[in-house]
Amino acid sequence: MAPSKPQLSLDDLQQLKWLLGGVLALFSAWTVFYLDVDAWTLLILNTVAILVALVRPGWLARIPVAAHAAAFPVIVACFLADLWSGGQLLPAMIRLDLMLILYRSLSYRQRRDDLQLIVLGLFLVVVAGVLTVSLAFAFQILAFTACALAFLFVITLVDASEAVWPPVPTPLFTWRISVATPAWVRHADWLRLLGRLRAVSDWRILVFGALLFAGVVGASGLLFMAIPRFQLENSLFLDRFISKKARTGFTDNIKFGDVTDIISDNGLAVSIDVSDPAQMPATPYLRMVVLDEYRDGSFLLSAPLRRAVFEREQPAMGVYGTERPRPGAPVYWTFYLESGVSRYLPLPGSFERLNFRELQNVQASKSLRLLALRNEPVTMTAYRIDGVNTSPLLPDPAFAQSLRTALRDPEGRPVRASRRELALPFGASDQAALQAAVAKITGGAALGAEEFARRACEWLDAQHDYSLQSTLPSGTGDPLVRWIGGREPGHCELFAGSFIVLARAAGFPARLVSGFKGGTWNAFSNNLTVRNSNAHAWCEIWNGAGAWLRVDPTPGSAPVTSANEPAGEAALAARMDRSWSARLDSLRIFWYRRIVNFDRGNQLDTLRNVKSATQLYAQRARAALDRIVQSGRAWLASGWNGRRIATVVATLFALAGAGWAALAAVRGWRWRRRRTGDGSRSDPARREAGRWLARLQERKTGGAPVVLDVWPQLERIRYGSRPSWPDLESVFRQARQALRAR
Amino acid sequence: MSAASDDWEGPGRSSGGRWGFRWSDLVWALVFPRTGQRIMPTVSGVILVALAFGIGTAAYNTANNILFITLSLLLACLLLSGVLSWLNSKGMAWRLQPPPSLRAGQEAVVALELHNAKRLLPTYGLWFGATARPVDPVPPGTGEKSKDRPVREILAETEKERIRTRLFLRGRLDAGGTARLEWNLKPTRRGTLRLALENVGSLFPFGFLQKRIGGGLRREVVVWPAAIEYRRWGALSSRPQTAGARVARAGSGIDLFALRRYEPGDSHRLIHWKASARSRQLLVRQFAAESQESLALWLQTPADRWSRPEQFELLVSFAATLAEDLFRAGRLTTVAVNDRPPLPVRRVRDFESFLDALAVVQPLPAAAPSPDEATRAGAGGKNLIIFAPDGARGVAAFVDGEKTASA
Repeated sequence: MAPSKPQLSLDDLQQLKWLLGGVLALFSAWTVFYLDVDAWTLLILNTVAILVALVRPGWLARIPVAAHAAAFPVIVACFLADLWSGGQLLPAMIRLDLMLILYRSLSYRQRRDDLQLIVLGLFLVVVAGVLTVSLAFAFQILAFTACALAFLFVITLVDASEAVWPPVPTPLFTWRISVATPAWVRHADWLRLLGRLRAVSDWRILVFGALLFAGVVGASGLLFMAIPRFQLENSLFLDRFISKKARTGFTDNIKFGDVTDIISDNGLAVSIDVSDPAQMPATPYLRMVVLDEYRDGSFLLSAPLRRAVFEREQPAMGVYGTERPRPGAPVYWTFYLESGVSRYLPLPGSFERLNFRELQNVQASKSLRLLALRNEPVTMTAYRIDGVNTSPLLPDPAFAQSLRTALRDPEGRPVRASRRELALPFGASDQAALQAAVAKITGGAALGAEEFARRACEWLDAQHDYSLQSTLPSGTGDPLVRWIGGREPGHCELFAGSFIVLARAAGFPARLVSGFKGGTWNAFSNNLTVRNSNAHAWCEIWNGAGAWLRVDPTPGSAPVTSANEPAGEAALAARMDRSWSARLDSLRIFWYRRIVNFDRGNQLDTLRNVKSATQLYAQRARAALDRIVQSGRAWLASGWNGRRIATVVATLFALAGAGWAALAAVRGWRWRRRRTGDGSRSDPARREAGRWLARLQERKTGGAPVVLDVWPQLERIRYGSRPSWPDLESVFRQARQALRAR
Repeated sequence: MSAASDDWEGPGRSSGGRWGFRWSDLVWALVFPRTGQRIMPTVSGVILVALAFGIGTAAYNTANNILFITLSLLLACLLLSGVLSWLNSKGMAWRLQPPPSLRAGQEAVVALELHNAKRLLPTYGLWFGATARPVDPVPPGTGEKSKDRPVREILAETEKERIRTRLFLRGRLDAGGTARLEWNLKPTRRGTLRLALENVGSLFPFGFLQKRIGGGLRREVVVWPAAIEYRRWGALSSRPQTAGARVARAGSGIDLFALRRYEPGDSHRLIHWKASARSRQLLVRQFAAESQESLALWLQTPADRWSRPEQFELLVSFAATLAEDLFRAGRLTTVAVNDRPPLPVRRVRDFESFLDALAVVQPLPAAAPSPDEATRAGAGGKNLIIFAPDGARGVAAFVDGEKTASA
């Protein structure tokens, strides 16, 4: 039987192998783009060189053999020098990997070289995945797997085509000056190759291949869930070999400059799963840093406070908070903090217990409700908080106690110089300006902390507009005092800082808090999405009753809330996000929930769910069967008469007839297929013949002899049985010539 | 075409294009693998296993799900490899088509026909490990001596005689398609040669594992003695015809010799239409041979006369070559081997039967047949070719006691 499709020659397969190898090398090298590794020069060099080698493989033959021989020692020397100068193992290994990929891409590869290329690429992809834990890794590893499998497939086909028995030994050493150009390179023509690939492709095989690959993905998902999980040892693995800088600038220092221009960054910062969304406040505040000291135009976390309230750093899987277990179903929040945000973890308030997914070096402060990791995590960090209390009031007995024992002035107020939360290191003119402003706010009345906060916020709102671009008034003195005295617009940090100095001037201890405020509710994955643009600064003022009260003086916010805000469906609906970016974020949260955060507990949950679902369906099936049996019995037990018997017999006959007809139809269809070899007109060769018949119809009517010669053969391919087909390629070639003939 | 006939082997042998999968076969194959079934990791397979092991260790050490999912993908790729490999060999049937007979020292083509009975999927990259070995691995005449030889030496000699080859399916075999692989086989000595398809292997699809299944094919073919050079003496080429002797045998002359039944392959011009009409069956004319002389050949192989194996092999090859030359010249009338009944040589098939007998002839331990039996050779003792040792190594042919050829 004539083949229905042409075959790829060995040269075609070699060219395809070269193409796939180049794509794989490029794809692997580009994963460095996601890593915070200084390898941009190598990346650009790799990209350019690999692309050139892909397009012009013949140029590689001009590289002298000596260069190939010297390449590997030079690469190793570069790696050692890199390691010695940089001192970081992982970045050096990544650069070494890039150099090796470049080396392998610039030489005609044998089978072992192809395998090396795959292993080198896999190393880069896995390292990028482990270090970033990003959703991009999912796409990367899938694309890499597909590409590598296709590459290996073609390698196997090439080996099968080149097979020689017994194997011919290859010489270890050669004295040639330049590399011999393989035959496939001399015949390389990528457009022709694409045409050949198109000619040999069969859409049914392609669909089958795609389904198989989907099966691989499904099987790997099942294996992922089924692989037994136990941890041999808690270690921090790759991230200890690399250091990374923060991108968002959440530090324990806020400095007020003359000009500020905040760039709106819509990148994802935190995704939060809330077990009971109804318990979530309408405007969640996520605290990250508390800055108690104001000095030289900057708010910072003072060293004494840091020493006093932060516990010693220790590796831990979890941290206990200040809340005590409460009756009722526990509410827990699961945080997925993106890499590059901060080493301070966003927290919604007090909590009962915080658990990490893996061991972390953590430093906690119960009184400040803050947690800091040793280093800024280079991967997504997941943690779960149980027993969350989102109240704007944060009790602080230790501070209350220290306030009671602090030095007091003759009027009974704590001496400002003895408390950082009251300190105002200003000159006399600044002090005077502040007192004047306080007098305007209070009107000379003695106010409580909450009332003062409300009035001060109203006063600031009346004086200043909100803007991301702000300019401080020129002049001498403290920048915040200058801004308070002017009318310039400002951003949240200026409002918060101004409120604090005003509160302190009025005698109320106050501190600045930095973190995130608000966020959107992803309608697809049902989670709170907080972006970098939600970064915010607000204040906490001592209410004199043993607690810090949250105050947000930035215009547009509810300045003072002494109790939990209303929450529930209405609050969620107000911040619902159904945009396309929300769809993408939902993919990411799926990745975090089901893949990255999957642990033995989830595994057990999955098994329990499968078990309960199986039991449920079994019960339903049993119940349905019982119902059928009962109804059958009832039907049989009901009265029988001649008409009913006739109806039953007729129905049985009708059913038997329908079954017989269906069987006959299937047998007839099979018989027709067998008779014609392949009765389907969807056969690509038949369709091709049909196309040629349509093209040549007009010329046949004109009586062109060439067409008349090929016409019966085309008809035979179109309608005849497969065994009677002539050689397809020659017939189609003849048809092409007939179409061109004048 | 269908691969349902008996001489086909392979997973698609009885499928006839249908999916022939049965769970019971799979389970049984797991419990008791078929002969020759073997799976060996290749270099890339070892790398994959090592990678999986390393990534698995790192995953368990760190509880990192990225590593777990990489490990899962690697394992799933291994599964995919197995499934694709199974699909590749599924529906494949193969059969050996050797020529009816081979000749020692001459190359012949043994064909391996392949058929892909699958409906959609093509088959790639199969190889077929084939062997040819003499059924009697010990050369004739050396049996007595072999008892004293070490087993290892005998096995080495047997292995040396075994001819191995690998036939590669280089291209793609489309669904429903057939292919033919050719093996140029050159047997070294006469006898019965057992051709076997030992295994069918493949690295398909990704080269991780080398999978082999038993080929399951055995065929035996006869290897005729080798054609050798020999020297003719004048007596054989120019023996005068005995006066008054009549040649009564079929040939290509012009005189009608006899009528016989039509056999497929006979020329239609030879059909005797009148006789066919009378007898209501097709009869063809046979003409008398035109040659003036005919010869009978009688090969006697008493062990006491042919005690040297090399000389015995030379005898058999010499007899075969001489007989062939005489047959081609139309001068061979009757052949006989030892005490078997003489066989008239009228057609090619008769001569081939003689070569078949020569292929397996062995030295006879019994005494040589009596001269009375020799008269059964059909020529009344005249024009009879017999053989005798010619010195320590040579063999001579005698006609009526006169040396006519030697080798």
